[in-house]
Amino acid sequence: MEINSMELSNIDIEVTNKPDKEIRTMPKDKLTVSPTIIIEEISRGQKMLHRYKLTQESITIGRGYDNDIILSDPHICPNHIHIDFAQGSWKVNDQNSINGSFLENPKSKKQNADQHIIDDGDIISVGKSQLRILFIDHPVTPTVHFSAFESFINLMRHPVSLFISIAMFIGIAGSLGYLSSPIESNFSQFFVNAIGMAIVFALWPGGVSLVSHLTKHDARTMTQLGISFVFFNLMWFSDFIDTMVAFNTASNSLAILVATLLSIGLTFSLFWLNCSIGFHMTAKRRAIVSFSLTALLFGGTYLVQYSHKPEFNPRPQYNATLMAPNFLLAPSSSVDKFIDDNNLLFEKASKAALSDK
Amino acid sequence: MNAFFTCNFRQVFTLAILFSSFTSIAAEQAETIFAELTPSLYQIKLIDKASGEKSSIGSGFQISSDGIIATNYHVISSYARHPNKYRIEYFNHLGQAGSLTLKSVDVINDLALVQREVSDEMDFFVLSKVAPHKGEKLYSLGNPHDLGMIVVPGTYNGLKKESFSERIHFTGSINSGMSGGPVVNKQSEVVGINVATSGNQIGFLVPHDKLVKLFEAYKKSAPTDIKIQMSEQLMASQDELMTTLLNSTWQSKPLGEKGMIPIIDVPFIRCWGESNADKTDALILAAVANCSLDENTYLSSHFFTGSIEIEFRYMQAKDISDNKFYYLYQQQIARAGAGNRAGKDDVSEYQCHHDLVKPDNANINNKAIFCTRAYKDFSGLFDVLYLGASIDKNQQALVSHFTIAGVSQKNAMTFTRKFIEAVSWK
Repeated sequence: MEINSMELSNIDIEVTNKPDKEIRTMPKDKLTVSPTIIIEEISRGQKMLHRYKLTQESITIGRGYDNDIILSDPHICPNHIHIDFAQGSWKVNDQNSINGSFLENPKSKKQNADQHIIDDGDIISVGKSQLRILFIDHPVTPTVHFSAFESFINLMRHPVSLFISIAMFIGIAGSLGYLSSPIESNFSQFFVNAIGMAIVFALWPGGVSLVSHLTKHDARTMTQLGISFVFFNLMWFSDFIDTMVAFNTASNSLAILVATLLSIGLTFSLFWLNCSIGFHMTAKRRAIVSFSLTALLFGGTYLVQYSHKPEFNPRPQYNATLMAPNFLLAPSSSVDKFIDDNNLLFEKASKAALSDK
Repeated sequence: MNAFFTCNFRQVFTLAILFSSFTSIAAEQAETIFAELTPSLYQIKLIDKASGEKSSIGSGFQISSDGIIATNYHVISSYARHPNKYRIEYFNHLGQAGSLTLKSVDVINDLALVQREVSDEMDFFVLSKVAPHKGEKLYSLGNPHDLGMIVVPGTYNGLKKESFSERIHFTGSINSGMSGGPVVNKQSEVVGINVATSGNQIGFLVPHDKLVKLFEAYKKSAPTDIKIQMSEQLMASQDELMTTLLNSTWQSKPLGEKGMIPIIDVPFIRCWGESNADKTDALILAAVANCSLDENTYLSSHFFTGSIEIEFRYMQAKDISDNKFYYLYQQQIARAGAGNRAGKDDVSEYQCHHDLVKPDNANINNKAIFCTRAYKDFSGLFDVLYLGASIDKNQQALVSHFTIAGVSQKNAMTFTRKFIEAVSWK
């Protein structure tokens, strides 16, 4: 106890010496009661596995069951290190462990941690495990507001809306199957196919939930399903817009590009929401992940199509989109305009013939 | 009754006698003709330079004392298209070989003139001054399937009907390898050149006057560049064909219940029809009218031109919704293709344009698609494709479609305009 009082007075001196660090005085005052330290057992990917908050002056760490922190890593000695509070700071005391203890430093080579005075946020590796040491005044990230999507997300995960979304998906898939079937057949057959399709599509949100569960996040399967099916339905809608645009416009129309961007935008938003629901990650990281997934999907599809493209295609590639007259919105061109536009094609074809002669 | 039978029997007998004596005379004639003409007959071989082996064979016959030999264009087409890859050789009745040079071609009538080197003046085939008469006995000469020179007797049956480029219908066996061989009359004068067969004793010959014309033109001035010559011939031929088509009557005919389509009234465009009226379970009633120019111009084994296809399809929904009708209708027009064969070395890829088009004079609104590809070796010539699909009736549709191979831009667009304006609803 004598030592303790000495330390306390030391701290007081320190505090008076550095009046500018006012914030630090507050928690340090608490030390008058007892020293507090937070030790986090973290994975190599800096992910937290366990967190210990200890209020004692000496902490023993090792594989033995008599330790304050028991680690099961076989590379750790039964009595591996002690972390002791002395003269206002925490110090590492290696207990002559077989594999040693090291201070992890991303900037320089790792150095022996024995007798190291610990700073806030230091990472010490023992055996193959890593421990991050934090003081109670360690700054935390600002509080995250509930996102604007939160209420929307909550609505979508509600069983009733989830049911509606999936029913809508099956309805649309079934109707499209019916519309494109050249022979007469009963509806139930298309709906069986559509249900199969819904199950296949449910694999995506299911997979995301599984991954978030495996990475120690909340699985939130219902939310993932709800959001994904809402977006799948939106994509049907965007497909419909695409078709409408292709039907109502002539070649080389800017509207076709816009319609394509719409479906890319929807896909990106779906991935973004999937990430936001399933994983804790920074906004930047989430944007990068969703962007990469979108690029992978569209780029991959494009690459597959490109690789299947023959060197020379003897068949004409044209847009044959037709819709019932109800969907016809655009006015028709005159024959003169059509002929004029086609006259430009001859030039293009002649150039193509010359260029790869 | 009895008398009639006897009489009849006698007639049959006489006919048989006549026939046998005729065949023996014919055989004799064939023999003399063959013996007399064979020194001026050649087998023509295209030798691939790299492998040193023959890549195609045909027949040819000498038509001048200085070594001009006539044959089919298609026999030497590979050389005409790729002069660096091949050389042309002849093989005469004595088994001697020698090289030939290409002098002139008529790609439309499938004729070519090649020349061998001669030291002395040689015998040659005389080209007839007059066309044969129907039923006249003719003798086709050639080397079928590399089996050796043969003579085939047959009959002249006039010019092929309903044909844009003239061909003689010859009843007699013409086989591959005999292409380019002469067909002579009893006076040993050339009246035609073997060109094609359609099996079962139906053979086709190029009339001799085409060769006379080509030979005369050659004597006047020999072409400097075979490719340019071909290009000019193709251009002139399409111009003639398209002018004929555009100036002919386009009869408006009904198709199905509500469609009105043009049928071009020229003998060489032949039409066929088909419908699924017998299929009671079909969701759409469809009636199709197809019109086409059956002949095409051979440019090389993978490149044909000069063909025209026109197709109309009337569709009527049977107890299905508008949307389903249009879904199925779209599938019908999704895969239109070229009417002629052409490869990467011959043409560019198709360039397409689509729009909604409503002709001023017609009560129809179409989705119209137009595609074209350009010829690489014959600039100014294109293959074109048009596809019009009506989009203004909920339960009926009219598809109008054509392809034209080897046409100029001006002719293609004039035809397209006339075609679009000729299709309408009743």
